[in-house]
Amino acid sequence: MQDERFPGHPLLPYLLILPSVAVIVVFLIVPFAQSVWGSFFVTSPFGTKTIYVGLRNYLELFQSSDYLKSVIVTVYFSAFVVVIGLGASLAIALLLNQKIQGVGFYQIALIWTYALSPAVAGTIWALLFAPATGLVPYLVGRIIPGYTLNWMTNGSLALLVVSAAATWKMLGYNIVFFLAGLQNIPEELLDAARVDGAGPWLTFRHITFPLLSPTTTFLLFMNMLYAFFQVFGLIDIMTQGGPGDATNLLVYNLYRDAFIHLQSGRADAQSVIIFVIIAVAATFQLRAATKKAAYAR
Amino acid sequence: MQRPSRAFALALVSLGLGFSLALAQKVEITWWHAMSGSRLKVVEAIVDEFNATHPNIQLNALYTGKYAETLTKYVAAFRTGNAPNLVQVYEVGTQTMLDSGAIIPVYEIPGMLGETWDWAQYVIPITNYYSTNGKLWSMPFNSSTAMLYYNKDLFKKAGLDPEKPPTTWKEVEEYGKKLVESGVVDHALSFGWPGWIFEQMFAYHNQLFADHENGRNGRAEKVLFNGPFGQMVLETWARLAKEKVFLYGGPEYSANTAFVSGQIAMLIQSTSSLAGIEKGASFEVGTTFLPRFEGYPRGNSVIGGGSLWVTKGQSKEELAAVWAFLKFLAKKEIAVKWHKGTGYFPTINAAVQELLNEGWFSKDQNYLTAFLQILSGRRDTPAATGVRLGPFVQIREIERAAIEKAVSGVLSPKAALDEAAQKANQLLKQYNELH
Repeated sequence: MQDERFPGHPLLPYLLILPSVAVIVVFLIVPFAQSVWGSFFVTSPFGTKTIYVGLRNYLELFQSSDYLKSVIVTVYFSAFVVVIGLGASLAIALLLNQKIQGVGFYQIALIWTYALSPAVAGTIWALLFAPATGLVPYLVGRIIPGYTLNWMTNGSLALLVVSAAATWKMLGYNIVFFLAGLQNIPEELLDAARVDGAGPWLTFRHITFPLLSPTTTFLLFMNMLYAFFQVFGLIDIMTQGGPGDATNLLVYNLYRDAFIHLQSGRADAQSVIIFVIIAVAATFQLRAATKKAAYAR
Repeated sequence: MQRPSRAFALALVSLGLGFSLALAQKVEITWWHAMSGSRLKVVEAIVDEFNATHPNIQLNALYTGKYAETLTKYVAAFRTGNAPNLVQVYEVGTQTMLDSGAIIPVYEIPGMLGETWDWAQYVIPITNYYSTNGKLWSMPFNSSTAMLYYNKDLFKKAGLDPEKPPTTWKEVEEYGKKLVESGVVDHALSFGWPGWIFEQMFAYHNQLFADHENGRNGRAEKVLFNGPFGQMVLETWARLAKEKVFLYGGPEYSANTAFVSGQIAMLIQSTSSLAGIEKGASFEVGTTFLPRFEGYPRGNSVIGGGSLWVTKGQSKEELAAVWAFLKFLAKKEIAVKWHKGTGYFPTINAAVQELLNEGWFSKDQNYLTAFLQILSGRRDTPAATGVRLGPFVQIREIERAAIEKAVSGVLSPKAALDEAAQKANQLLKQYNELH
């Protein structure tokens, strides 16, 4: 392709992107710089006293067993959301891509979870697992007499339930994209494979999955962001980080320190840490994925 | 075309002037609160009545989210100079507000306006909670405490006397076992606000929760909850959980459903749940004092809920308007209305008398239970008045985590409390460093 000059005044392109740049600077870069700056201080809630503490906020976080536990919980949670969530969504999307009667109904039935607000999704799951009144503990009590399934005291169960709820809520979103990806795969390629005698598994393994990889890469990234940043509402409704910090994800811990405990310096430091984690993970993912992903040219 | 439009503009300007003149006579004040649901309606009714009876004042009451959100917004607004005149803060935010440098203590306001005010008309255990050195810093508004709710029908079914609720933890255990063994319920007891109930036990048995006289004689530097008393409390709860008498029901109000639906027979919860529980229950609800541990001294149950704080730096007219509203809340009829509409304590002695006279309590004795409990408890010790901590919100979360670890058997009660105390002390140290 040849370089084409943008018509009009040479400064016009800059003027046209100015609004976007301004939005990014005002709403993203300036607050981020403020967070980095703020992370070197501790401030009383009302801002009456501010002390410069250097890296103490960071050191305290890294030395705190609670914070390290929160990191581990977050890794477990996001791994669950990404791996189980994408696996299940892909499987469901493959099923929904069949030419069967009433497929539109099934598609809607499986996609609508995305339309739920986190608060509603959280409430549904919390009610299902409510220790004394929920359906699941009741059924478990029927199957194993005398056993009480209580996710309010059982930390690993709580983490599992929260992870499942978050995954479930994201299913609809993933399925929509996988379906779109599947429907974009050229029919001829699948036919050719069939003619060559490839069974469903081989077709999936060598044709469908590689051709889906741009979608998968995108979803991998979106799900990771979701697991890191967008599950606050779900946690707040369901467990508030409990029992005993078992579901205290990094972003929830940050929210509590910033808005409930009013420790802005500590919260700033946490936002910087989460930023670094996400930036590193995203770089790796994008590098690995763009190498492997087969983009149709 | 030009002429009429000029005349129109002139008319507009003069109209605007007229408006602003009218507004100049009216003092506008803002109040941020955290009352939602059925409580919001009562707040709105009271505010409307205030505005109607005070033509020179326009009070704008705004719901600004839950307690924590309201406080966060207030902090942000204060730092940018947009704070409301009056704000409702939960009881755990008390020390934060005292240290904020953002408020005028209410006891100073009448003097600033050249008035006098009879502080003795308020119910003493309630004002004690919000007082420092005998002076009231914030105006009690929605005050509650914890009590024991029980299901009289389930008591009958299990062969227990529905008019004889348990009075001690030993009886709770005994009755609980009976309820479970008779197959009436799978679990007998649960409670809301676990950390708060834990604190209640200390005050209720006159035990200090933190040093410096519960943080009331200087800022607390160390918590005392991992001592023998705290261990005993948590050991009891862990044992009850093991015996299936106690079912841990989660934070705040999540255990209420189990009680209302008859899955458990006893619930320790805030008195502010009374109206909701009575409305939702299809059985006869009984209430009684918190259970006691035998052999320990008597104290009192602690006040929870919220109080109203007055922002400093407002004009004298605004302050007078705020004060007019606070005085309005102390009117007998208003305090009665507030109590009946929400179940929160009437904070004025005259209102209590009024309620007694009209037979309100004999209609539903459950409204009297908690009131008798705080009035019959002792009120002369810091231990019985309740603890005051800087980073109270976090420490209450730490308590909750310790309780969860102990009742689920992850840690022994002692280990859970020691871990919690260490974290709490660290937070206290950081807080005191800043103040």
